[in-house]
Amino acid sequence: MAQKAVTPRARESMLQMNGYAVNAETPLALLTEYVTPNELFFVRSHWIPRTPDPKKWRLTIDGEVDRSGDITLSELKKLPQAETTCVLQCAGNGRGLYSPTLPGVQWRYGAVGNARWTGVRVRDVLERAGVKPSAKHLHVFGSDDPPGKVPPFHRSIELEKVLADGILAFAMNGEPLPVAHGAPLRLIVPGWAGDHWMKWIVRLSPQAEAQKGFYMETAYRYPLTPGAPGVAFKPEEMAPVTELFVKSNITTAPAKVRAKHACEIRGFAFSGAPDIAKVEISDDDGATWQETSLDPRHDPYAWRLWSYHWTPSRSGTVRLCARATDSRGNVQPREATWNQSGYLQNSWHFVDVEVTA
Amino acid sequence: MKRAAVLVLVLAAAFASAATKRSVSFDSNLPVLGTRFHSLPAGKGKQQVEASCFPCHSADMLVQQRLTEKQWTAEVDKMIRWGAVMKESDKTAAVAYLVRNFGPANKFTPVRTRPAGY
Repeated sequence: MAQKAVTPRARESMLQMNGYAVNAETPLALLTEYVTPNELFFVRSHWIPRTPDPKKWRLTIDGEVDRSGDITLSELKKLPQAETTCVLQCAGNGRGLYSPTLPGVQWRYGAVGNARWTGVRVRDVLERAGVKPSAKHLHVFGSDDPPGKVPPFHRSIELEKVLADGILAFAMNGEPLPVAHGAPLRLIVPGWAGDHWMKWIVRLSPQAEAQKGFYMETAYRYPLTPGAPGVAFKPEEMAPVTELFVKSNITTAPAKVRAKHACEIRGFAFSGAPDIAKVEISDDDGATWQETSLDPRHDPYAWRLWSYHWTPSRSGTVRLCARATDSRGNVQPREATWNQSGYLQNSWHFVDVEVTA
Repeated sequence: MKRAAVLVLVLAAAFASAATKRSVSFDSNLPVLGTRFHSLPAGKGKQQVEASCFPCHSADMLVQQRLTEKQWTAEVDKMIRWGAVMKESDKTAAVAYLVRNFGPANKFTPVRTRPAGY
């Protein structure tokens, strides 16, 4: 599936998928900066948060710790600050591009962004409480519990991962964390899909076992072995979604260009690996590839902007596509592996350009 | 001297501009993000769908779906397990309505919006 050519600068807007709960993606043509402005950053909400008064807010720490208790926001901010710039992508970004079609928010391209997150290390917060050796998983709870029998968005993450580089962020791009993005506190999990990046956090609980429930045992799972499109995998045939897959998108390409005249193609690329090794462009359906220039700006697990001066050799509709290779050698596939919840879509991104003689 | 002063001013302005947050300008005519835009098309089953789905979803969630009868039935059953109130006798009409309007060939275009305050 090819997209229509991307205009260099669309009028700024957010593309609303849902009004209640709010879910909105960023137009691809606006994802051209290394740091995505807060106002343009995609919004994903499972449910409606009860956003507390920051003065009354407490983070409860309990479970397999020596000292259970509550921490206020001001106490939290006295811990050593940590900062990282990295990609946040919704696990379901691109769900709407899978065939056969799937239920859920029909994200296309823009449930992704790159931001500077400031907060405190999960490690520092948990060390104050003294984590027992029996703890292997961090259970994370937000203030967005739904009513009735609707399963709460309760999650857990391997303690090893969050102790290594997890951050509890209270600021985004130098501003207080916006409510839509989880104020007062959200979990940052560099390199991992957005389902781990819990928002509106009120409680952390190290436990020996992983969290149970719909959002651990049924949702956010990915097949261990690929199957044919449309196949229904059983939960035990799948594992939790963790690292992002290598992916690139074209953000800038002219709608129309003259043959033999150079124009600039731009985009971004990211992965669950800390960096991108190269991004290539093809104008012949992947038969040959040309390497693009990577922007020098980078932080571990941030995206790489890339650009390429393309000179079309023939007139007619030319289909461009981009593919990325990450620092571990993973290459973006032509077709993403179909899965029944539509996660981690990373097929080559095709854009059509009209080339005139 | 005058030239030097102008240069200082230009440099100061450039520096201030680099240090200032990029101002994102949204079209003020756009509706605000979080507005409920869609309503459901008329037809048999609409009333049952609205009564059962709207307590937790806006119509937006329904109108973007492209599901087969089997998928819609599974979704409706899941929602009933999760507390949606729907009489068994209303289910057939509700599923038929959803398939008729939001089947695999359904087209959906997200709505251009601006964040509140922009």
